[in-house]
Amino acid sequence: MLLATTIILAVENGETTGIQLLPDASELVMGTVAFLLLVALMVKFVFPKANQAFEDRAAAIQGKMEEADAKLVEAEETKRTYEAGIADARGEADRIIEEARASAEALRADVVAKAEAEAAAIVERAQTDVAGERERVVQDLRAQVGAISVELAARIVERELDQATHEGLVDEYIQRLSSQN
Amino acid sequence: MTHVLAAAEWGGEFDGVLDDINALFDFPKFIDLGTWFGQDIGINRTIIIAWLMTALVGLLFVIAFRDPKLVPGKLQSALEMVIDFNRQIALDIIGPKGLKFVPMLTTFFVAIFALNIAKITPIFMLPPTGRMAWPLMFAVIAWLIYVGVGIQNQGLGGYFAGIAFPPGVPKALYIILTPIEIVSSLILRPFTLAIRLFANMAAGHILVVITLVTPWIFLSSARGWPIGVFGVVLGPLVFAFELFIIALQAYIFTMLTAVYIDSSMEAHH
Repeated sequence: MLLATTIILAVENGETTGIQLLPDASELVMGTVAFLLLVALMVKFVFPKANQAFEDRAAAIQGKMEEADAKLVEAEETKRTYEAGIADARGEADRIIEEARASAEALRADVVAKAEAEAAAIVERAQTDVAGERERVVQDLRAQVGAISVELAARIVERELDQATHEGLVDEYIQRLSSQN
Repeated sequence: MTHVLAAAEWGGEFDGVLDDINALFDFPKFIDLGTWFGQDIGINRTIIIAWLMTALVGLLFVIAFRDPKLVPGKLQSALEMVIDFNRQIALDIIGPKGLKFVPMLTTFFVAIFALNIAKITPIFMLPPTGRMAWPLMFAVIAWLIYVGVGIQNQGLGGYFAGIAFPPGVPKALYIILTPIEIVSSLILRPFTLAIRLFANMAAGHILVVITLVTPWIFLSSARGWPIGVFGVVLGPLVFAFELFIIALQAYIFTMLTAVYIDSSMEAHH
């Protein structure tokens, strides 16, 4: 729009008052030289380094991420190991407690059995003692009763009986008493 | 008329301001390098500005990537963003094959941006891209690249035949279509690339000059001072707008170059 206007104005007035549309030779040459130098600088120097920097950064980030992944895997492995260790220890502890419980139980049963056996032995011994004592007392009584009976009978019948006959009579008497009891 | 610019920045008289609009752009040569191929060659203010801005761009990139760090500093980060921006243009438009054009596209982008931004850079206040030499130079180089890519990918005959005789069209239409396609692909493309950039920068430069001259002329005027105040208020907005245009035109030029390269990679019609 502006160009058209200025060109038209220039044509109408027959003067060069519009903006110069054609390139100035000096500016074209000098501008091109400067731009081509910039292109050479960018293509030869700047971009190789920039691209290298981009690649290095990408590689570094990639490396860091892989490293982090590896660390994560390692950490998980370690965690698994620890968990397994903890589980083992827990099982071991359970086993020890169980063993202790079993051995305590066994010990207790053993002690009880021994005590029971001992008690039974004591009771048995006591019974034996009691039976022996009773037997002995019976024997004693039997002897005394015999002697007393003989003496009594001798006094009653005033006659001497031989010892063997006495004892036979006494035994018979006691047998009778025992069976009555 | 060169005093207009200086005056706009530093103050002065404004008789006949903007009478000769071309004087805002066409600066006299102060170093004469003689005649080359029938053309007077020399150095003028615009060329110095272009050189300085181009050198600044090159210097920034060299400093940033002289010893690139894995964890980049501020300058390296900023310029990596610029490269990444152009990489995205290449990837979006051309695809993975476009990655090899990233250096070229980036150089186009930063060079055009630097020359454009001279428009609102204090002391310079002139975009070399507002002179036809630079847009034309960029457009011709872009043209050489996309035609070269076309010939490289499709062969000399294949590329030009693809342009002249787009497939899938009734043969009778070639009478109309062939001239249009040839003109469009080989002549209008670089021409529009150049004109778009040139016209935007030229218009922007005039707008900036007017914005800066307006307060100077009108603020001291008894009746016109409100216009001067308006100019003062408008100044920052115009600069912000121009900054937007500067970046936009650099982007559009780069993006369209990528589009033309893509169209040359294979027959698209």
